[in-house]
Amino acid sequence: MAAAPRPGSEGADPALPLPAHIAGPPGRRRTPPERMPVYALVGNPNCGKTTLFNALTGLRQKVGNYPGVTVEKKVGETYSQHGHAMRVIDLPGAYSLAARSPDEAVTRDVLLGRRADTPQPDRIICVVDACNLERCLYFVHQILDLGRPVIVVLNMMDLTARAGLEVRPAELEEALGVPVISCAAVQGRGVVELRLAMSRRELPLARHSWTVPAPIAPVVAELQASLVAADGRPPLIARAEALLLLTDQDSVRVAGSTPLSAVTGAVLENWRRRWTGQGTDWSGTLIKARYEVIHGLCREVIRRTGDCGPSLADRADALLVNSGWGWLAFAAVMAVMFYAIFALAEYPMNLIDGVMADLADRVKDAMEPGDLQNLVTSGMIMFYAIFALAEYPMNLIDGVMADLADRVKDAMEPGDLQNLVTSGMIGGMGGVVIFLPQILILFLFVGLLESTGYMARAAALMDRPMSRVGLHGKSFIPLLGSYACAIPGIMATRTIENAKDRLVTILVAPLMSCSARLPVYLLMIATLLPGDAVPAATKAGLMFLMYALGTAGAFGFAWLFKRTFLRGDPPLMILELPPYQPPHFGEILRQMLERAWLFLKNAGTIILAISIVLWFLSTYPKHPDPAASPEVQIAHSFAGEAGRALEPLIQPLGFDWRIGIGLVTSFAAREVFVSSMGVIFGVEGAEGDTAPLRDALRAAQWPDGAPLFTPLVCLALMVYYVFAMQCMSTVAVVKRETNSWRWPLFQLAYLTGTAWVVTFLVYQSGRLLGF
Amino acid sequence: MSASPFPLIPLCQLPAGETGRILRLTGDEGFCQRIREMGCGEAALVTKLSGTTMSLCRVRGMRLALNHRAAIGILVEHLPLAPR
Repeated sequence: MAAAPRPGSEGADPALPLPAHIAGPPGRRRTPPERMPVYALVGNPNCGKTTLFNALTGLRQKVGNYPGVTVEKKVGETYSQHGHAMRVIDLPGAYSLAARSPDEAVTRDVLLGRRADTPQPDRIICVVDACNLERCLYFVHQILDLGRPVIVVLNMMDLTARAGLEVRPAELEEALGVPVISCAAVQGRGVVELRLAMSRRELPLARHSWTVPAPIAPVVAELQASLVAADGRPPLIARAEALLLLTDQDSVRVAGSTPLSAVTGAVLENWRRRWTGQGTDWSGTLIKARYEVIHGLCREVIRRTGDCGPSLADRADALLVNSGWGWLAFAAVMAVMFYAIFALAEYPMNLIDGVMADLADRVKDAMEPGDLQNLVTSGMIMFYAIFALAEYPMNLIDGVMADLADRVKDAMEPGDLQNLVTSGMIGGMGGVVIFLPQILILFLFVGLLESTGYMARAAALMDRPMSRVGLHGKSFIPLLGSYACAIPGIMATRTIENAKDRLVTILVAPLMSCSARLPVYLLMIATLLPGDAVPAATKAGLMFLMYALGTAGAFGFAWLFKRTFLRGDPPLMILELPPYQPPHFGEILRQMLERAWLFLKNAGTIILAISIVLWFLSTYPKHPDPAASPEVQIAHSFAGEAGRALEPLIQPLGFDWRIGIGLVTSFAAREVFVSSMGVIFGVEGAEGDTAPLRDALRAAQWPDGAPLFTPLVCLALMVYYVFAMQCMSTVAVVKRETNSWRWPLFQLAYLTGTAWVVTFLVYQSGRLLGF
Repeated sequence: MSASPFPLIPLCQLPAGETGRILRLTGDEGFCQRIREMGCGEAALVTKLSGTTMSLCRVRGMRLALNHRAAIGILVEHLPLAPR
């Protein structure tokens, strides 16, 4: 280990002396530049970086108890103890600078200063899991090679005793020569000390060093010199890159967006030929050399205090991952979730009804009836409910809308404008917003799975069926996340190392039924199985069937793709299992509110806009006979014309032109189908349940008087939505993630085609069987 | 590499509750590099917790799940007694 100069404490604020272990041993120091200093938060996956980031910046980025929650950099600001602004970048977790997946590549590129959109960090905060110190220090060790000032945060110190470990921060600080902060980020402990350390004007550079194994040293030196001379890299970055080029055999992957010069490439190729001839494993030698140094460090820093026999968590894992009980538990979790969506949603919905009825009475008492001001005020209440009260998503929405519809009728003369507001705006939005409780329950369950650590166990459990279709269990985490929404699910594929496996997962992720399909399923189930006489378990079972169909479709297409144009070796999987934790209900609630806000925002923007456009298209041109029935008028309208043009394409599926309009408009977002039905069937306002729209659908007929929404058509419509790619946002995110229009267009074509074919088979088979 | 006095077996065949020392990694180079970087390289001690098709193990304090194809490429010597 290299000798190091010894300390001074000139970096600390004299008015506020720092604790000795934070003030640290003086050594070589680097003064940060005058601009706002940039800190990068780095570390292994699931070691608490984002929790710390949120604590420092006050932001609320998503956290979870499984590896791979953060897949893109997040930027926030915090303040030093003197009130100076500091920028903090939260980077995706990585096991090594030798990135093997797109999320790790983000971390590597930011740390090496390769990203044009991100300044190279001035200082690096390495977050390590104190219970897994030896493994975490490997990445820290690589980062120390970069020659930047580093602060090491020993997170999860509260869990070390339970793991039978005693970790000594002072010894680690002494060995590394950089500040080491003890922390329990979830409880907010250590954040103040970290902020104090970040506030120091100067930080010591690490005095820890290691010796590259002698046979490799000349290669590192030659590559470093070439990278400096021919590629223009700074010397320390060049050394780090040289070590990466020797660690990872794939130089294209290491170089990333900054391809190597011909000179450096030739140097590397020359050495590679020699290695092949000698049969030496340079990568293994380098990694082993680092671990030997780290092992020595850990012997000084860690003392084992407890038994290392099987723990309760080990026994739980054996049950949940490696036995038939695991499948039973998984099935039980899913069954409870789907049952809860039906059974539990009644309570918040009834509560909403009661609160809203009361509010509506109060508003009526407080306001003068029947004037335009009334309309404006009611509109403001609705706007407030949708946008400002998003923190309380189940509050006040339905009653405000019902009240609003009444007030509009009172305040306005019957006519187009009244019809626009009641049928177009309120009918359209209200029909969708009523499903918020069920969507929140879905997010509650997804949050519980993520928070407790069960998500990773489910992925391990699912590896076996996944491997039969050519994927491994790691792909299951993005797929499970897609039950909530395909967009974060698709982004979560960045943790998948193999490019083909990642692409297959992206292509099939939209088949997992997302929360936007819930309103469609719920409306169709309500139409198919009306009334309270049908038990909730039957309805839940039918919906579970739709989710199972989507999941089976995802597996089937993954199998097909992996055996055709995305053929590859069966994947190898290694997955770190996080510790079990009690759920963080505060975090789950926050995520639920965030989703509620997004849902309501969507209802107040996209769905509202489409509802207004659809109202226009279904109202004009006017039928020559002013007394024409609503059905005749809508058939005469632009929407009617367009629907009729579409009808030959969808009639074999059992759908008429009105359903066709819903299919077209819901390409923006699936839940728009419900609002479109509300507008087309002229259902006004929301009455706290789906009854008015359900009854309108049940009454709808074909021109020959036959019912339109038969049980078979309801089922066929649900099947169509299981497979169809009805989401513009998903198309956009797939384009971004694959960096090409080819794959989203392919995805759109194959999913829409499959939806048509499967729905056709379901409908025509049903008819042949006499349904 | 010195010859091991204990039988060399794939990790998936290590009995549950037993400890082994990783002696050799075989198969895909990229995978070998990654598991070495995660601390599962040669000389690391691994305790099998359960499973054969999905091996649950503890290595350097972390709990890992490896599928069969991954575990079969990790060759370990079965140590008779778990070192403390």
